[in-house]
This record gives sequence, structure tokens and C-alpha cells, in this order.
Amino acid sequence: MTCDLTLRDVRSVARIVNLAHRFNCRTTQIAVRAEATVTASFAFAGPDAALLRLRAQIDRIVSYEANAT
Amino acid sequence: MTGAQAVVEALERAGVETIFGYPGGAIMPLYDALYEHRVRHILVRHEAAAAFAASGYARTSGRVGVCCATSGPGATNLVTGLLDAMMDSVPLVAITGQVRSELMGTDGFQEADVCAITQPVTKRNMLVTDVNHIGASIAEAFAVARRGRPGPVLVDIPNDVLKARTDGNVASERREAGGAQARVSDAAVRDAVARIRSARRPVAIIGGGVRAGSAGLYRMFAAMLGLPHAATINALGAAAPGDPNYLGMLGMHGLKAANKAVQRADLLIALGMRFDDRVTGKPDRFARDAAVIHADIDATEFGKIVAPDVTLHGDLADTLRALIDELAREHVPRFDDWAAEARLMGGALPSDRVENDGLSATGVLDQLFAAIPDDAIVTTDVGQHQMWAAQRARPASPRRYATSAGLGAMGFGFPAAIGAAFANPAVPVYAIVGDGGFQMCLPELATLRRYDVPVKIVLIDNQNLGMVRQWQELFFSARYSATNLADNPDFVAIARAYGIDAHAITAPAHAADTIARFVASRGPALLHCACHPTENVWPMIPAGMTVDDLMEARA
Repeated sequence: MTCDLTLRDVRSVARIVNLAHRFNCRTTQIAVRAEATVTASFAFAGPDAALLRLRAQIDRIVSYEANAT
Repeated sequence: MTGAQAVVEALERAGVETIFGYPGGAIMPLYDALYEHRVRHILVRHEAAAAFAASGYARTSGRVGVCCATSGPGATNLVTGLLDAMMDSVPLVAITGQVRSELMGTDGFQEADVCAITQPVTKRNMLVTDVNHIGASIAEAFAVARRGRPGPVLVDIPNDVLKARTDGNVASERREAGGAQARVSDAAVRDAVARIRSARRPVAIIGGGVRAGSAGLYRMFAAMLGLPHAATINALGAAAPGDPNYLGMLGMHGLKAANKAVQRADLLIALGMRFDDRVTGKPDRFARDAAVIHADIDATEFGKIVAPDVTLHGDLADTLRALIDELAREHVPRFDDWAAEARLMGGALPSDRVENDGLSATGVLDQLFAAIPDDAIVTTDVGQHQMWAAQRARPASPRRYATSAGLGAMGFGFPAAIGAAFANPAVPVYAIVGDGGFQMCLPELATLRRYDVPVKIVLIDNQNLGMVRQWQELFFSARYSATNLADNPDFVAIARAYGIDAHAITAPAHAADTIARFVASRGPALLHCACHPTENVWPMIPAGMTVDDLMEARA
């Protein structure tokens, strides 16, 4: 699974990596550019169900960052 | 002004009247600023109680609860309360002192990387490194805590930043523009209503989302359809008092009618709830014949546990209003016959036979709920008493009941009641607690005494960590490992030592009179109930199973 994210807080990159570990997924690639906003690209490997859960949690992080939820 | 004064001014601008906290080295400048300010600080006796009290304040008022603590251990003691607020979507702002900027990273005295520690248990946290950003950071914290799905936010401020001087004006200018709130889709509403119209056995489940202020609309929605409905533990009080179609709490220790009706449903209307495992048991066998309409403000809840057929993404009040309006466009379907059938699936709550005339906890709670005022606030701790209370309570609104539902944090109930009492000074507040959880927060009796908070504590003392004991009996071959509390202290003497009035029930014959005296008493009081040690909570759906596996008594 790959994710290209625009984040507000670069610390969320660490949070996402920790979540992947928690869900028994491997973070196989990260590319981060932290300027006024943070753009981050991730690649994850793991069981389908875990990746689905990881994606939902990433969506929640992005949503909280965007202050929409 | 100083940074600390800017914090207090920002709290005032946010409408804060009361905060709960405990001082310490790094946060001393804030306490100095509070010394001569209108924001009222309530000194608790452990930082964990500050977070739980703030939660009780928020849960029963709809306002943001505020707690504060010093760096290091003070801040880490808040963590459980922050996670509790995260799990139950409670708006909370925690302000923590941090060691001086120059000491950060040196393993300084009482230093902890609180932002890293609390990242998974907050919606957002922030380390304020510039005194000019204090006001904006506090304002942002309140906005994030309230907005959308509510939750906790932590603001960590180094000691030198609290002491630094600011003109205070820069801070208030930098306001964050919030993202657009989701507005429920008209097409989804039409789809949902079409499914309701064609359903034969619809059941509504209301969840904690109702606490944001949509109980009135929910009651209107349930009444216009006449459909059976159930609540998660976070939504007790959502149903209209006396509504015959309300089947009670569902889930592991939910009422039989609620669980059976949900299992037989052909349509679930899930409103502001998240299909917790204590509700679903085994998701792939949960309500397996039902289509699912799922309404929530947090889109990441959709499909997390149960795959919905229709999603209604938005604020629950807006969603209910849209559903009601759409239903009213044409003939409104009624489900009275199905509701009557669902009501008959229940019957009386099963209870354990209590041997040798021992005091039954369920008997005490039945009498207590009959005796307390209808509009009373009830908080509970975690364990058997929590489930017995949830099965029996009929709070007047969702803001009249507070319990640590998602996290199940023992030690919550008593400090949460203190917070609730500060938020609702004219409302009687009862904390129903067990002997295990109460001993996690006993020192808060001093808080009760100092502020003369009229919280009534009902202590269900079965000399056991009862819920764990029950599971050991049922699922671990009665090997009772570390659950026996037969050496409990004399709780009545402890309460009196703190200057709290105390009553005791030791036998069923005394219960009614003692409860009446306790309820009628003025000021804070403890009611100690020496209950039978092996009474179990029934019914019970064992973890990971369904209502088909429901137990109503020991095998």
C-alpha cells in the first residue's frame, strides 16, 4: 500500500510509522519533505486487513490535522 | 504580561471558569498567575483525578474540561485520562508545564517528552516554544477539542516560556482556520430513508455521538417511527424517559431484548456509535441479516468493524434533522408491531441468588435508582457495578450519566463525579463505585471535603475485583488469582477521617432506610454497601460471541 500525504505536523510521520508497526505492517519506504507543509510518501507491506486498519488510522490523523473532524 | 498570565487570559477568553490540577516545579508560574485570577483552580490529590474530573465536567456540561499538571510525572499521570477522553470523544484541554527550554534533552529533573508520549492519546498536542504563541495555541487547543469528533488536546509549555514577557496581542491574532465540516449528503439521506421505508424489522442504535447535543432530535426520530431502539453505554439517557420502545443498553452485559432485537433486525440504523467489540461480540455474526445505515461525524469509523450499506457522514444533529425532514415528505412508516414483538424478547433482568441473606448489589442498586431524583447525575467506575448500573439507570439525558466506557479506566468514577458537581452545582451527583476502583482515588475524599462538594458516593464493596473474579469463575476454572480484596480497609472510618459523612448497609433489611437517609443527607456522603462477594453480572455474552451464546446464570 502506498500513501502520498500532505501533513501539517512532521511528527505525524513518526506516528504513522509507529502505527504500521503496531498493526504488524512494515514500512518499506518513506520520503518526506518538510517545508511550510509536509509532504510524505509511504509504502507499507502487511496483511490486507492490517493495511486497511492502518489506512483508516492515517485518514484519521490527516483529518484531525486538517481540523475537519 | 507573562506567558503564564497569557495562559490564564486565554483560558478566560475560551470561557473557562474551572480547571482541575496539581502544582509542581515547572508549572509554578501558571499557579502564580492563577493566584489572583477569576479562573477557579480545583486542587485534586493526584493528577489522574484532575483529568478524570475534567472529563466528568465536560461529559455532563458539554463544555471543554480543563486540567493542568507539572512536567514529568505530573504530565504522565494525565495520560490515562487523556486516552479515556480520546476513546469516549470527550473535549478536554490539558496544560502541562515543561522543564526550562535549555534543560530539554538533558534528562533534566522531572523532564519527560510529553508531546511524544501523548501523541497517540490526543487529537493534537503542541509544545509552545515562543511566549507570543501562547494565546493562539490555547485558542487552537479549544477549537480542536470541540470541533467535529471531540477529544483531548495537550499544550506543553516550558517553564521559561511561562515566565517570559509578552504583550499578549500577537497571541490572540493567530487563529487557525478550521477545515470544512462534513455535511451529510442528501443522496445518502434519501437512500437511508428509502431503506427505512422498506424495512420490516429496523432497530436504531444510538451511541456516544448523541452527547454532543442531539438527544431531542433522536427522541423525535425514534418516536415518529415507533421503532425499537437500543443504546450503547455512552448513550444512556438518549431515549425519552418512559419510551416503551427503548430496549435498554446492548452489548456484552446489555439487556436481552436489546441484543435479540438487534440480532433479528433487517435494518440497523447506527447513529454516532462505533461498533465497539463489547457491542458486536463477533462482528461477522453480529446482526447478520441486517443492512446497515451508519451515521457518524468521523468517516474513519465507516467500515472499521461493520461494513455499512449507507453512510451518513456529518454532525449527528444535522443527520437526524435531515432524516426527519426526508421521512416527513411522505407517509411516515410505523413499526409498532415489530417494536411490541421486540419488547417481548426480554423479560426481567436475571440476577444471582445471593446466599445466606447476604446483601445483593443489584438489590441495592434497584433501591438506589428508585430513590434518587430523576434528574440526578450518575457517574460510575469500572467493573461489575458499572454494568449493573448501566442495566438499571434511566438518566434524564446523556449528560446525566458519565462512565469510562471505551477505555474502562478504574478510578474514573469518583473524580468524574467531582468534576460533574462543579459543572452542575444545582444537580445531585451520585458516584457509584466498586471497592477496587475507589481505592485508586481515595485521596480525592480530601478534595470533596475541601470544597464541600455534595457528591454522594455509593460504594459497592464485594471484597473482590468483581468483574475479573467473575471471568475467573466462568472462563479460568475458578482459579481466583489476585482478585480477592477480603482485607479491604474500613471505608466508613476512612471517609469519616476525611470529614465525610458515612452510612453503611450490611444486611438487606436495613437497605431501604439507610438509602433514604443517605439520599436525604446534605453535603458529601459515603454509602458503604457490604455486598455478597460472588454475585455475577447477568446476562452476559462472552467476549467474541453473539447473543446466541448469551448466559443468564452459572452453568
